[in-house]
Amino acid sequence: MATHHAHAVLPDEPEKATLEGKNKILGFWLFLGGETVLFGSLFATFIALRDQANGGPTSQQLFDMPLVAAATLILLTSSMASVMAVLALHKKNLKQLQAWMTVTVILGLAFLALEIYEFVHYTSMGHTISASAFGSAFYTLVGFHGGHVAFGICWILSLQLQTVKKGLTVVTAPKFYVACLYWHFIDVVWVFIFTVVYLMGMIGGKVG
Amino acid sequence: MGAGTHNEDVRKPKVSHDGVKRHLVAFIGSLVLTALAFISVAYEVIPVSFTVPFIVILAIVQALFQLFVWMHMDQKGHEFARISIFAGSFFIAAAIFVFIFWVWVGA
Amino acid sequence: MSAHASHAPNRSGLWDWLTTVDHKKIGILYLIAGGIFFLAGGLEAILIRLQLIYPELSIVGARTFNELITMHGTTMIFLAAMPVIFALMNAVVPLQIGARDVAFPFVNALGFWLFFFGGVLLNTSWFLGGAPDAGWTSYATLSLNQYSHSGVDFYVLGLQIAGLGTLIGGINFLVTIINMRAPGMTFMRMPIFTWASFITSGLILFAFPAITVGLVLLMFDRLFGGNFFNPDAGGNVIIWEHLFWIFGHPEVYILILPTFGIISEVVATFSKKRLFGYSSMVFATALIGFLGFMVWAHHMFTTGLGAVANTLFGLATMLIAVPTGIKIFNWLLTMWGGQIRFTTANLFAVGFIPTFTIGGMTGIMLAIPPADYQYHDTYFVVAHFHYVIVGGMVFGLFSGLYYWWPKMFGKMMNETIGKWNFWLFFIGFHLTFFPQHFLGLMGMPRRVYTYLAGQGLETGNFISSIGVIGMTLGTILFIVNAFVAAKGPKAAADPWDGRTLEWAIPSPPPEYNFAQTPLVRGLDALWVEKMAGNKGMTPAEPLGSIHMPSPSILPFLMSVGLFVAGYGFMYHVYPVVILGIGFTFGCMVARSLKDDPGYHIEPEEIEGKGVKA
Repeated sequence: MATHHAHAVLPDEPEKATLEGKNKILGFWLFLGGETVLFGSLFATFIALRDQANGGPTSQQLFDMPLVAAATLILLTSSMASVMAVLALHKKNLKQLQAWMTVTVILGLAFLALEIYEFVHYTSMGHTISASAFGSAFYTLVGFHGGHVAFGICWILSLQLQTVKKGLTVVTAPKFYVACLYWHFIDVVWVFIFTVVYLMGMIGGKVG
Repeated sequence: MGAGTHNEDVRKPKVSHDGVKRHLVAFIGSLVLTALAFISVAYEVIPVSFTVPFIVILAIVQALFQLFVWMHMDQKGHEFARISIFAGSFFIAAAIFVFIFWVWVGA
Repeated sequence: MSAHASHAPNRSGLWDWLTTVDHKKIGILYLIAGGIFFLAGGLEAILIRLQLIYPELSIVGARTFNELITMHGTTMIFLAAMPVIFALMNAVVPLQIGARDVAFPFVNALGFWLFFFGGVLLNTSWFLGGAPDAGWTSYATLSLNQYSHSGVDFYVLGLQIAGLGTLIGGINFLVTIINMRAPGMTFMRMPIFTWASFITSGLILFAFPAITVGLVLLMFDRLFGGNFFNPDAGGNVIIWEHLFWIFGHPEVYILILPTFGIISEVVATFSKKRLFGYSSMVFATALIGFLGFMVWAHHMFTTGLGAVANTLFGLATMLIAVPTGIKIFNWLLTMWGGQIRFTTANLFAVGFIPTFTIGGMTGIMLAIPPADYQYHDTYFVVAHFHYVIVGGMVFGLFSGLYYWWPKMFGKMMNETIGKWNFWLFFIGFHLTFFPQHFLGLMGMPRRVYTYLAGQGLETGNFISSIGVIGMTLGTILFIVNAFVAAKGPKAAADPWDGRTLEWAIPSPPPEYNFAQTPLVRGLDALWVEKMAGNKGMTPAEPLGSIHMPSPSILPFLMSVGLFVAGYGFMYHVYPVVILGIGFTFGCMVARSLKDDPGYHIEPEEIEGKGVKA
């Protein structure tokens, strides 16, 4: 494993400059392949149970397009912010990296806040995990995604804090890179959630 | 490995530094695809039977944009990344196919 | 910043084993833990066959019998077979590719401890209200609260924890094999066992998330009022079956593919010939792995999927026989014309070939949907899967253990005891499971705690139960052999005149495996050097200081955290859940915050004799 003296220049693409960094990036891509199957199984289950509202509120009655559009916009922008963060990483500009990661985290928190508000609102309408199979499937799929967002926020914050002390090195760079891969992935999952859960659930229902 | 560090000035990065443009294009593209999907459901501009495949295809295209551009899946050195995501997607697509036609429709 | 930390930390005894991140020690941990769980599963099997030796016995009651069959299956597959496979993969794969450890040594340790604590949690069910009793397949609605007791909660939580360990283990081996091969070792120069481990790890990566989701859904139904499998609220039980078998079928290929790898290595070494058709073996393994994901509904032919689905899945299942057949012919052709030595390892390998073939043949019979309507849920199925799992995988694991024991422990297993081990186990196995084909064809259902007299089932059941004696004695002899070996002479680096890199280093290897990373010049890298008249491998790098990862107690602690949280979940004590999961997350944060500089082994400390400067 390469050792770097503090006064040497950081190599280009520092996240890949060591075997450890390369291993982490590859390992994480493979993990994302597994996560594809994980979320896919939750999607398959949701699709199978989407119509089983057990007399309770249906998707047409529950979902509100402006709210979903807002959440989508927020998450997509946060993913773009993390792209900017990685570009800053490649320019070896720690300040910019930290700034863009902060934007990412703030937008992520806004997304979560919106989702929590949404869930609370639904429970007051009688849509809960135990009310119907549709309810169970909805909260498990969308809730797991939200849980992933929350975990990602904690992860990025812990990276931001430790980098204040450690600086940008060949050890901290792969950590940011991998965290941003994760963040992009949960936005990709959200693309399918808003399509399969919300939009498909609003077809034939009230609009706006 | 002190000897290696002196090559840095000569070593060319695999990612060009003016790559912001590609990423911004992907961002705008994602916004457009998302807007199209929402509009097609909100205003029923497309016959309902086509809406579902339409928005699913929009979603897949957007996912590919984000995977290939934002996550650099199109670059050299990402062979196993591609295999991993495509294999996972393929296997779960088979499962989703069965769930749609034998569990949802059959129920 | 200097990363030259101190010398190797001074750890000994229990603390050394609790904190190790060394793949060789982790392999031994997997072997010991897997071995203990194998004995537990074996005891459960003995009780099952004792209850069934005569009609209408009451040695155990019906509920206990259901617990025994559930735990026997679950323990053997998840807690015995997979860990022993991981033991061999850990012990052998890094050596075969010329690496010093796996890609993520810390994660490797974490994977072990998660498996261990998941298995312990599952087995505490015996003492805490009863073991799960819904079968190893735990079908809903039987596995829901309405129809089963708390035992199933242990199943749900124990397997989630253990499954997480397996998943990260799979990722670890994939990255290791992709990124850490010695110079000159292209993919098509990798030893066949490494190829098998590689493809198996891919199967683990894609199969385990499906069962994780299934278990989460079942957990939500049982503990949080979910309705996934509750038909009264719109749920659908077939979802469980699909998710379980989308995992379950690849799982059995996860069990058998490494075994195929072992057989290929053993047969080639003990025929003193290279493996016949290496490329087609690699291709066949990959094809079996891929097709393994396309056949899951052959476990569900009778659930009413309809003729179209049944036909597609039946055809796909039969298709897998083709690459499997290629392998069998290649093993036979490897032996043909070779100088065959029947060491214990080779006895198990050669015993495997016809036995596994019989199991595969009954698999083809089961793959025909209309025929399966008759076979389904009878002892015919039980016979089939025990032929492929025990006659296939277990024979292969014994073969691998006898083959690689000298490398792992530096001692030779006794060949005389080994031969008694083989023959007792082999004969006992066939006595137990061959009659079960006919019991099934005569209509005896599976998972029944007894049967009536006068239906023609007595003879078959009697013989089947007698065979257990052979397998028990054989297993005992294996354990005896391990102790005899420990007291016996030291093993040479290359006791079998091997062909692959692991035999180029001492038995057991030093901490760092290779003093200098070897240069690989062809397939069967060591054999290439032997045929060129060299005494060992050519190094690919100069002798230098070797960087090693530091040991850590965090993997152990993280697993304890999830173990504690598991109990919190099942008893609905949420502060305990928060404590457990919080503790685990805290350890993860600690790991992230404090980077591990490792330690160095300097050239003066490297014991290799005759290393080239």
